[in-house]
Amino acid sequence: MFWRKRKQTDFVAEIEAHLELETERLKEQGLNEEEARMAARRAFGNVTRAEERFYEAGRWMWWDHLKQDLRFGLRTLRKNPGFTAAAVLTLALGVGANTTIFSLINATLLKPLPFPHPDRLVLVWETSGKGHDNWNSVSAPNFWDFQLQSKSFEGIAIFDFGRGYNLSPAGTKQEAEQVSGLRASAGFFSVLGVKPFLGRTFLPEEETLGKDHEVILSYGLWKRRYGGDPALVGRTITIDGQDFTVVGVMPRQPQWQFWNSSQLWVPIGYTKTDYERDWNSFVAIGRLKPGVTMAQARAEMGAIANRLAQEYPTEDADMGAWVVPLGEFGREDLRTALLAMFVAVGFVLLIACVNVANLMLARGATRQKELAIRSALGAGRVRIARQLLTESLLVGLLGGAAGLLLATWSSQLLFNVFRLDHLHLPGQELDSIPIDSRVFGFALLVSCLTGVLFGLAPAFSALRRDVNGPLKEGGRESSQGSRLRHALVASEVALALVVLCGAGLMIKSLARLLGVDPGLDPKNVLTMQMSLPQEEAYNGPPGLPQFCQDLDAHVGSIPGLTSVSAVGDLPFEGNDTRGFVVEGQPAPEPGHLPGAGYGVACPDYFMTMGIPLLAGREFAHADTLSSPGVIVINETMARRFWPKENPIGRAIRFGGTSGPRLTVIGVVGDVRYLGLDARVRPQFFRPYTQAAWPVMNVVVRARTDPSTYTVVVKKALAEFLPDRPASGVETMEDIVRDSTGSRRLPMLLLSGFALFALVLAAVGIAGVVGFSVTQRTREIGLRMALGARATGVLGLVVGRTMKWALVGMVVGITGSMGLARLLSGLLYDVRPTDPRVLGAVTLLLAAIALLAAYLPARRASKIDPIAALRCE
Amino acid sequence: MSTQKEKDRLELLQGTLDLLILRTLIFGPQHGQGIGRAIQQTSQDELLVEHGALYPALQRLEERGWIVAEWGTSANNRKARFYTLTAAGRKQLVRETTRWRRLATAIGRVLGPEARKG
Repeated sequence: MFWRKRKQTDFVAEIEAHLELETERLKEQGLNEEEARMAARRAFGNVTRAEERFYEAGRWMWWDHLKQDLRFGLRTLRKNPGFTAAAVLTLALGVGANTTIFSLINATLLKPLPFPHPDRLVLVWETSGKGHDNWNSVSAPNFWDFQLQSKSFEGIAIFDFGRGYNLSPAGTKQEAEQVSGLRASAGFFSVLGVKPFLGRTFLPEEETLGKDHEVILSYGLWKRRYGGDPALVGRTITIDGQDFTVVGVMPRQPQWQFWNSSQLWVPIGYTKTDYERDWNSFVAIGRLKPGVTMAQARAEMGAIANRLAQEYPTEDADMGAWVVPLGEFGREDLRTALLAMFVAVGFVLLIACVNVANLMLARGATRQKELAIRSALGAGRVRIARQLLTESLLVGLLGGAAGLLLATWSSQLLFNVFRLDHLHLPGQELDSIPIDSRVFGFALLVSCLTGVLFGLAPAFSALRRDVNGPLKEGGRESSQGSRLRHALVASEVALALVVLCGAGLMIKSLARLLGVDPGLDPKNVLTMQMSLPQEEAYNGPPGLPQFCQDLDAHVGSIPGLTSVSAVGDLPFEGNDTRGFVVEGQPAPEPGHLPGAGYGVACPDYFMTMGIPLLAGREFAHADTLSSPGVIVINETMARRFWPKENPIGRAIRFGGTSGPRLTVIGVVGDVRYLGLDARVRPQFFRPYTQAAWPVMNVVVRARTDPSTYTVVVKKALAEFLPDRPASGVETMEDIVRDSTGSRRLPMLLLSGFALFALVLAAVGIAGVVGFSVTQRTREIGLRMALGARATGVLGLVVGRTMKWALVGMVVGITGSMGLARLLSGLLYDVRPTDPRVLGAVTLLLAAIALLAAYLPARRASKIDPIAALRCE
Repeated sequence: MSTQKEKDRLELLQGTLDLLILRTLIFGPQHGQGIGRAIQQTSQDELLVEHGALYPALQRLEERGWIVAEWGTSANNRKARFYTLTAAGRKQLVRETTRWRRLATAIGRVLGPEARKG
């Protein structure tokens, strides 16, 4: 009916006609023109009111009101640039910080994995002992049994952890290049639900060693290195010096990356050691049948693992199985960190809201007369409350828009500074932090919510307002108003305390962590990775027995380098475990072989890395396949296995009683190989000249900044291994720093938020107290006129503020326990209820609150009683 | 038309104006002033209809589709907006009349014999 709506002018014309008709009738009854006109008008009542009622009956009234309110709101905001700037800026920072964290959550935790039905993809791990904390990769024979016996899966496959593969130049234009790739079983691609863009995936018979010289390339590698030539499929390329037939190319969409940015895949080609049931070196991935729950899959796999443990008591002793959704695996720390930051930043926003609410209240007080006049002129209370709420929403949206802008910039900054593209999320590659519709919706929702939140207090007080009070001169502040403001002080303190506590715990953790002795000297050390030829990747004789010597000859001669060596796994990046039997000690029970961390190194490794040699000697070039087998052990291993003895000259049997005999030739200092935050564990090394390892990290120590040597070292390496280019160049200092990475980001951000919260709370408290002092100028003046001294007034104002701040602290301490529990997974060597952190934070906040109350209170104590009483 | 008399008039109960307008229009098209006068006359000057209240009510009825309006000329040759009852308006009138009668009877019953005396 809206389109048929009458115009206001038509209605006015009708009223006019009515008055004419009525005048006519009255004239007929004998009244003169003037009297008749007056009487007609009288009988009609209020013409304007009738017109108004016609207008209000319109269906788009609320829109008119909204337009009016918006226009009025914008005008008011423009008239108070100081207030507007303060409110919008506060909210922009609050909403911006929230949106930034949300965009991180959106890009990592909320984004579905790029596979069909990703919720049905799971990883299956072996476990040892009770529970599932002690999970381990899967051995091929166990996987075959899982595959045969389980009914929960549509399909299940395995792949190894991947390594660098060397692509030889095909023509003169190409250079040798190392790319990461992995070995996958035939079912791998169908489990993931990915069909090849070109060609085919692997066939079951290609899992056999010797028939495994096929390769599937990623779309990116195919485009970049082979110019996207469709005829490449079916041709041979040279990888690690051997011919491989390209059988397929993976699709580009969805962004198809899996596990450590793999760019090529080769058939799994089970080697001799892969057939050993305790050779755990694969990751099992399964796709659950539709309708099978995680609990059912876990129960079934657990039962199968228990049966295998009984069947193979030596290899599978105490074995269990654990099933985790692919989308959750490897994201626990990230989830905790993001959740904790989300909570903290939410609290910061609440503080911002409290501050703006206080600003609004203060402004509401100065606007009391304006509002009273408007309501005296006939504006309803609801109408006024609505108008105030519209104004708050407007401020909220302005702040939100600025916050969104801030977030687009800051999320990019975080991505770059914290190198989030290096975040290894299984099945997912993070290439940017998108500001998509979800992030936009979040920002909009948060700004509206905050607008309503801080707009509620002024709107409610408008609803309750007495029309006459403010119009009278010198209206005093109500006790209700002051109660509200005290509640604001208390809530600011409580919220700030929670955020500060979180930050305090994280800072203490990181300080503890940075205080941990890395056990080596990372300064001026550069590392890079090379993959070496290997018949049996992790067992048997070295593929390049002369590698260490060549390294010494070619790289060692570079001027400016003080020493050169290589090692299998770099410190802090995790390493393998190997079992052994100590010679001369009672034989262990079957299935309970003692184990220790294991590595392979070239001569001079410990010197190059700056790991102190405590006894004996390092590996030398003289330790070869024809000389006796030797090992270097760490201090913890020496103490554990040869307590109160000199371990030098003692021996172990590697891998079991019948394994090769290896003699201890040296003891070195402890290094936390599993990460700076991990426990020190026994560790032993074999020389590369006696034991194979497929990937070696070249380590060089320079006199100055080591990164300047990258090119020369690479060139020197190419001199003796032209087909095996080095990759993954990193300084040791970066590696040490990255080892604390999962804590560094939340720590820095939480500290930033805490600082922000502290500033906001201080400004907020000062604002509340300042406003209250202004409101009570007359009362204070009166007190002073009656003999109150300046110190008394000071004490009165500060005392009352601190009383409420104390209430806030009690509430805040309780609340901080919650956040601390959330953080506990990220803490290192600090308890969530650390009394020192809690005490320090409480004291800091008390001092800030005291200062924030003192400054306006001092102003109160300087009030001139005569001026104060006269000014009204 | 003395002031005294005006004070004695009954003010309309909420919602009854619509009913009276519809009832008045049953005799044929009429303009606003005519409707007001008709109500007053038919009630033998007992009901007070503020003319100003009439027009928003007419507007409301028109929007609901119970009456339609058209500009025309009055008996004494003046321009006026004439209202006509629609079929839906007729139905509404029957419904409302029934409802009102039931209400009046029920209230009468509750008030008892005294009400008749006064």
